[in-house]
Amino acid sequence: MSHYVDAELVASVWKVVASVGDIVAPEDTLVILESMKMEIPVPAEVSGTITEIAVREGDVVTEGDRIAEIEPS
Amino acid sequence: MTATAAKPAKLPREQDPRNPTKRLAAFFDPGSLQLISADDDSGMLAAVGTVDGVHTVAFCSDATVMGGAMGHEGCKVVVAAYDRALADDAPIVGLWHSGGARLAEGVLSLHAVGLIFAAMTRVSGKVPQISVVLGPAAGGAAYGPALTDVVILGPEGRIFVTGPDVVRSVTGEDVDMLRLGGPEPHGRRSGVVHVLTDSEADALAQARRLVALLGDQRVIEPGEVHDVNLAQQLPESKRRAYDVHPLVATLLDGDSMLELHQRWAPNIVTALGRFGGRTVGVIANNPLRLGGCLDSPSAEKAARFVRMCDAFGVPLIVVVDVPGYLPGVGQEWDGVVRRGAKLLHAFAEAGVPRVTLVTRKAYGGAYIAMNARALGATRVFAWPGAEVAVMGAIAAIRILHRRKIAEVAPDLRPTVEAELAAEHEVLAGGVDRAVEIGVVDEVVEPTATRSALAAALAAADTGARGQHGNIPL
Repeated sequence: MSHYVDAELVASVWKVVASVGDIVAPEDTLVILESMKMEIPVPAEVSGTITEIAVREGDVVTEGDRIAEIEPS
Repeated sequence: MTATAAKPAKLPREQDPRNPTKRLAAFFDPGSLQLISADDDSGMLAAVGTVDGVHTVAFCSDATVMGGAMGHEGCKVVVAAYDRALADDAPIVGLWHSGGARLAEGVLSLHAVGLIFAAMTRVSGKVPQISVVLGPAAGGAAYGPALTDVVILGPEGRIFVTGPDVVRSVTGEDVDMLRLGGPEPHGRRSGVVHVLTDSEADALAQARRLVALLGDQRVIEPGEVHDVNLAQQLPESKRRAYDVHPLVATLLDGDSMLELHQRWAPNIVTALGRFGGRTVGVIANNPLRLGGCLDSPSAEKAARFVRMCDAFGVPLIVVVDVPGYLPGVGQEWDGVVRRGAKLLHAFAEAGVPRVTLVTRKAYGGAYIAMNARALGATRVFAWPGAEVAVMGAIAAIRILHRRKIAEVAPDLRPTVEAELAAEHEVLAGGVDRAVEIGVVDEVVEPTATRSALAAALAAADTGARGQHGNIPL
């Protein structure tokens, strides 16, 4: 079953660090959000392969918006 | 207030791992257990013993009798254990494995369970109460642990008011005990459980650590507090979020950190540990989660922790790096004003020594809530370059100088904003200004912070503690 990574807060997407097809481990940074004057990295919570990055740099996300999808290994 | 528990294969009572004498013996120091109730079929067993030498009272559900269901005789055992704990000024630990009130006794058992709740409330804030949930704890057995100071969940622990069968028949929702009241819902979502564990042995070990921390607090030895460069635990960029756990762990002695509510409201960290040998509580914003903003759950989590520490005379170290309260319709409708006020109240009433360290920034209402001078902080330290302000300098000058910035050509705006921000910081947000008006007592280098905190706590540690209960906020 795919694992979904969602935004925890309202933010703009500052940097997309990972790409579709990347193999990630827990705590690897997927994207960096910018909110409340802070750069907040969004980590992978599981090991696996990224099947979707749902945001682009400059996008605004709100709480619960999909950021990425990971196929757990 | 009942639930059905799964029926394990019947073993002779002496061999049953749920045998309460075995569980209590595994909890206390070897050879120290003394029963203080009859080992009969009341469904509860109580004992005194020592935990790392600390005199402690404990009771345990007898899950070998009717799944640990609570009748009036068993409840009397618990109430007597509470009276004993209060008389001995000893921590009290409950090992829970119970389906709730005994059905056959009807309202008599409900009344008896209620008497336990009253006893728990009577001693609240006077002696530490720790609950270890080792099996199902349903109905009355759920609210028992919930009324205590710290709840530890064993891997088989399940806490719920009404069990899966009733939920299914009333709401049609098909749910099992794990999803209803296991580690995931109570560790991450509900905040009911403070400490999750992997084994029954670990659950008992964590309870022993808590008894030692709260029951044998010792005195701070400033000479034993050695300085390290705490700033090494922070990223170079001031804007970069980071996990505050390594900073808290390094601040405390050795590997003494015991975090409470690790997964729930992770934007604030609450931990007990030793500092110069003495038990202290640490509250720290965690910028990695929600940017370290305060919100409703984190304010409640911190407020309850502050009140617990205050009630038991545990001094506090407050590590501040907070951009503000989390903005949003959801937060406002969720009562961030009401729930955030709990943290203001908790700090302002606290009588224990409580020192504040601003590492990077403290903005707005969240600045006040994180044990500011105005709330009666014992001493407020800040690292060089820290900002204490109503909001970040750039955000502030964009409001204050809106017209001026609008008149500037777009390509020059960043330069102009940076100049205005620098000016503004000197006037309103810099740490020098905060020292000048007395809201920061001292700028301290990260390499001298541990000793500065130790000296401040030692000077103020007169044994004062709050005179109040610890309502589960």
